[in-house]
Amino acid sequence: MFSSLGDFQVTAFQLASVPISAQPLVEQTGLFAALTNSVFVALIVMSIIYFLVRAGTKSPTIIPGPVQNGVEFVFEFLYNQVEQVVGPKVAPRAFPLLCTIFVYILVANWFGLLPGVGTIGIGHEGTQMGFFGLSEEPKIPLLRPATADMNLTLAIAMCSMVVWFYITMREAGPVEFVKHIFAPKGGLTGVMKLVLIPIFLFVGVIEVVSIIFRPVTLSLRLFGNVFAGENLLHAMTTLGDTFGFGPTLSFISKIGFTLPFYFLEILVGVLQATVFALLCAVYIQLSTAHDEEH
Amino acid sequence: MGKILSDLGIYWTNFIAQVLIFLIVYGILKKFAFGPIQAILEERRKRIEGAEADREKVKAQLADSEAAAEARIAEANETSARLIAEAKVSAAAFGDKERAKASQEAQDIVTKATEATKVERDKQLASLKSEFGKLVISATGKVTGKVLSNDDQDRINKETATQLAN
Repeated sequence: MFSSLGDFQVTAFQLASVPISAQPLVEQTGLFAALTNSVFVALIVMSIIYFLVRAGTKSPTIIPGPVQNGVEFVFEFLYNQVEQVVGPKVAPRAFPLLCTIFVYILVANWFGLLPGVGTIGIGHEGTQMGFFGLSEEPKIPLLRPATADMNLTLAIAMCSMVVWFYITMREAGPVEFVKHIFAPKGGLTGVMKLVLIPIFLFVGVIEVVSIIFRPVTLSLRLFGNVFAGENLLHAMTTLGDTFGFGPTLSFISKIGFTLPFYFLEILVGVLQATVFALLCAVYIQLSTAHDEEH
Repeated sequence: MGKILSDLGIYWTNFIAQVLIFLIVYGILKKFAFGPIQAILEERRKRIEGAEADREKVKAQLADSEAAAEARIAEANETSARLIAEAKVSAAAFGDKERAKASQEAQDIVTKATEATKVERDKQLASLKSEFGKLVISATGKVTGKVLSNDDQDRINKETATQLAN
C-alpha cells in the first residue's frame, strides 16, 4: 500500500517535469546566456504588445475603428480602476506603471497557454524526430511561459517598487513617509500617545520589513501560480502515457484532461495580472493616502 | 542567499534582461499608447463638451424662439380678436346706416312715386276736364243750336269743372 503510494508520488513528481529555471537557448555562459527561453518569449510578448498598440494608435481618429476602440476601452477601463484605488491626484503618475504591469503580465500569461509553448524545443532525447522537432519532452523548450521565470516576476516587482518609492517621495515626501510608518495613528494625544509610541515604532519596523519583502511576495506569487499552472498542464498532457493508455486513448486524454485546466489557466492568467497590478496600486495608495487626506 | 537565488533560477544577466524588456514595454506603451490615447480622449472630451455647450445654446435659443413665437401668437390672437370686434361694430354700424339709407331711399321713391302719380292724375284730370268741357260745349251747342261765345264756353267749362270736382 505504502509502496504503491510511494510509487504514485514518484510518478506524479516525474510528471511535473518543467524545470524551475529558464534555460539558455544559445550558450550556457557568456553574453548570450541571458537569452533564455523565457527571455525569448518575453521578447515575443513585447513584440505582440508593440504591434497591438501600434495597430490601435497608428492613426487615431475621433471616431475610432474596432482596434482603436478596443485599445481605448482597455486604456479607459484600467485608468478608471487605477483612479478608484489610488485617487485622482496620484492616478496620472501611477497609471503608466500599473497599466504596463497588467498588460505585460496578462499577455505573457495567455501567451504561455498557446500550443507549442513548452513542447517545441531543441534536443529531443529518446525520439526519432531529430535535433529540432515536436515532442512532449524537449530537452530545451524553445518557448517557456515568461511569467514562469522568477527573473521576470522579480524584475517587474523591483521596477514597481522603484516607481512606488518615487511616487511616494514625490507625493508624500520623506518626512511624511516616515511619519506615516512610525508615528502614532488615530489622532491619539496626551499620555495615551506617549504610551503607544513604542508600540507604533515596533509596528513601523514590521511595516518596513513587510515593505522590503513586497518584491519577494509579489514575484513569488505570480511565479508560483504560473509555474504551477504550467506543471499542471504538462502533467495533464502526459497523464495518459503515465497510465499506460494506448495511442488513441492517450491522444484523447491529452485533450480531455488538459482542456478544463486550460480554461482555469486563462482565468488564473487574468487574475494574477489583476492581483499584481492591484497590489502595486494598493501599495501606492497606502503611502500616498496620508498626503491626500491633508 | 546565493543558493536560494540559484534554486529559483535567478541570475543577474537574466534578471537585467527581463528588467530591460519590461522597461522597453513600458516605453512602448508610454510612447504609442498612453500619449496618443490620452490626447485623443482629451480631444474627444473637449468635442463632447463643445457639443454639449452648443446643445445647451441651441436649447436656450429654441426656448427663446418658442417664447417669442408664443408671444407673437398671443399678440396676433389679441389683434385678431380686436379686429373682429371692431369689424363686428363697424358691420353693425354700416348695416344700420345702409338700412337707414335704404329706408330713406325707399321713402323717397314712394314720395316721388306719389307725387308723380298725383301730377299725372292732376294732368289726366285736367285733360279729362278739358275734354269733358269740350264735349259739354259741343253738346250744348248742338242742343241749343247756337254758336256759343267764348264767355259761354268759359262759364260752361268752369261749371263742368266745378261739378266734376265735387
